[in-house]
Amino acid sequence: MLRVQDLTKSFQTRTGRIAAVRGISFEVQAGEVLAFLGPNGAGKTTTIKMTAGLVRPDHGDVLVDGRSLASHHDWVTARIGAVLEGSRNLYWRLTVMENLLYWAAMRRVPGRLSRERASHLLDRVDLLARAHNTVQTLSRGMQQKVALCQALMHHPPVLLLDEPTLGLDYESSESIKEMVRELAHDGIAVLLTTHQLDIAQELADRVAIVRDGQVVLEGQTAAVLDRFSRPLVQVVAAEPWPADLDQRLLGLPVTVTGPDTLELLPGDLGERALYALLARLAPHPLARVERHQADLAQVFLEVVGTRVGP
Amino acid sequence: MRWLVIAEWRRMVVGLVRYPIDTIASTLTLFLVFAGLFYGARYITSSPIGGGRLSTVVLGYTVWIVMMAATGDMAWSVQNEAQNGTLEQVMMVPWNAVWVFFVRAVMAIVGMLVPVGAVLVALLAMTHVHLAWRSAALVPMAMVIGTAWGLGLLVAGVALLLKRVGQVLQIVQFLLLFVIVSPVAVLPGIGWHLAAMAIPFAAQVFLLHGLLTSGATATIWLWVESLFNLLFMLASGILLFMGADRLARRQGILGHY
Ligand SMILES: Nc1ncnc2c1ncn2[C@@H]1O[C@H](COP(=O)(O)OP(=O)(O)O)[C@@H](O)[C@H]1O
Ligand SMILES: [Mg+2]
Repeated sequence: MLRVQDLTKSFQTRTGRIAAVRGISFEVQAGEVLAFLGPNGAGKTTTIKMTAGLVRPDHGDVLVDGRSLASHHDWVTARIGAVLEGSRNLYWRLTVMENLLYWAAMRRVPGRLSRERASHLLDRVDLLARAHNTVQTLSRGMQQKVALCQALMHHPPVLLLDEPTLGLDYESSESIKEMVRELAHDGIAVLLTTHQLDIAQELADRVAIVRDGQVVLEGQTAAVLDRFSRPLVQVVAAEPWPADLDQRLLGLPVTVTGPDTLELLPGDLGERALYALLARLAPHPLARVERHQADLAQVFLEVVGTRVGP
Repeated sequence: MRWLVIAEWRRMVVGLVRYPIDTIASTLTLFLVFAGLFYGARYITSSPIGGGRLSTVVLGYTVWIVMMAATGDMAWSVQNEAQNGTLEQVMMVPWNAVWVFFVRAVMAIVGMLVPVGAVLVALLAMTHVHLAWRSAALVPMAMVIGTAWGLGLLVAGVALLLKRVGQVLQIVQFLLLFVIVSPVAVLPGIGWHLAAMAIPFAAQVFLLHGLLTSGATATIWLWVESLFNLLFMLASGILLFMGADRLARRQGILGHY
């Protein structure tokens, strides 16, 4: 569906040239959500803008259904919808409905069809009642939902979302998240950047972590999480460990990580190590015993935090 | 092209209907500026601007308002839309951006036609200038509008690259007022003829004057200069805008940067 090949971009600034994006490639299939993660300045927005044709790459190309942005600009952009970073994406002095009809007409959607679509989309985000209010009277969360509807008026098979939930309250974020999930279910290829790793973890079929303009880690979300999960068991006590803890644990592969926590690395011993540990700890009251499961926050920290940049 | 025109037409109409005060205020300002110039000149020189000169000044000022509508609207909208993010959405629609902005320049002037007509009537009443209507004058009027589109595109292109063009534009617009009513177009010599082809509206104002004022004439030179000026401004507007569009995308400055 969407294929990005070896995108490269550097910018001339007052202090010299910045290599913003250095050879980024990826694919997003129909019905798939790819989360693009990375620290500020990693090159996410530049990549999204190159995909949307707003920034011209020095190198590389963007393909939608096999056709190239460089040689079929209008054909490709007609198949992309985008909600761009931080910006309003809408005319504040026009009503919600006027905005949707305007952007639909700009993308050659016939009038009657665009009315139907606008009503349908607004209904999905619970904003049908606000259709005839000007955008400036809406809350930030509502505006962002309208921006999402705007990006969908021409039924694009590819949707680009640059930090769509930034600065939104919990409920608005949740409803945008739900909407994105449904859109992917409908078969849209979604490329999403976000700093909210919990949202990425819930939504993304695949993740790509970008750093200094390069993809440093990419894969299926579940596989990436597995890869970063360690065979650890964490034990959390309900009250501080007794003074003779070290003696009790003698010979077990255990690290005490706090006054009431410890970690077991069972290794070849497997479950037997866990039962042995529990027997030695008894009858000290325990709060939790759990296997370690990585989350994206941890993956992100390890990938972005440990590698030293150029 | 049909969709584009419909979309921009609706947006313009909504703007006019929802915020009529904006249009009324700017029309009134334009009238008051002229009144200030008119009575100010009379006060300072203690003699009124007379006869044929006065009618070119009135026509020139009217043309100048049309030009203001196109250039001001284009600069303002590019500048604002770059800030609030709609510019990037506009530049993403599956059209060559030059057509989008061309249609916007057209609408900027269409939206100003009624106010401009009102100002012209008021000026004629105030200055006691009499114009004799001739339908041939529709041609230079159309040329004025076309030239203003070209100039609007030119300004939009500059604004794409520089964003904050507002202040500079005001100075340029003011200088243009004096150039427009200066008699470059009717001076003899090939040098002046060439200058009149390059300076927006200079020949068209005198062509209008020649057609609409009894006793004045529209020479063949005025027709040639007016036509070349139209073509020159349209071509430079389109080319400059397309170049600016390409450069802005290369530098990544359509948005906040
Ligand atoms: N138009 C531009 N001109 C100069 N530098 C830019 C421009 N756009 C982005 N940059 C720089 O490129 C780098 C990547 O920026 P960006 O793509 O916005 O990162 P992200 O979205 O991941 O935070 C940053 O160092 C930024 O300052
Ligand atoms: Mg960004």
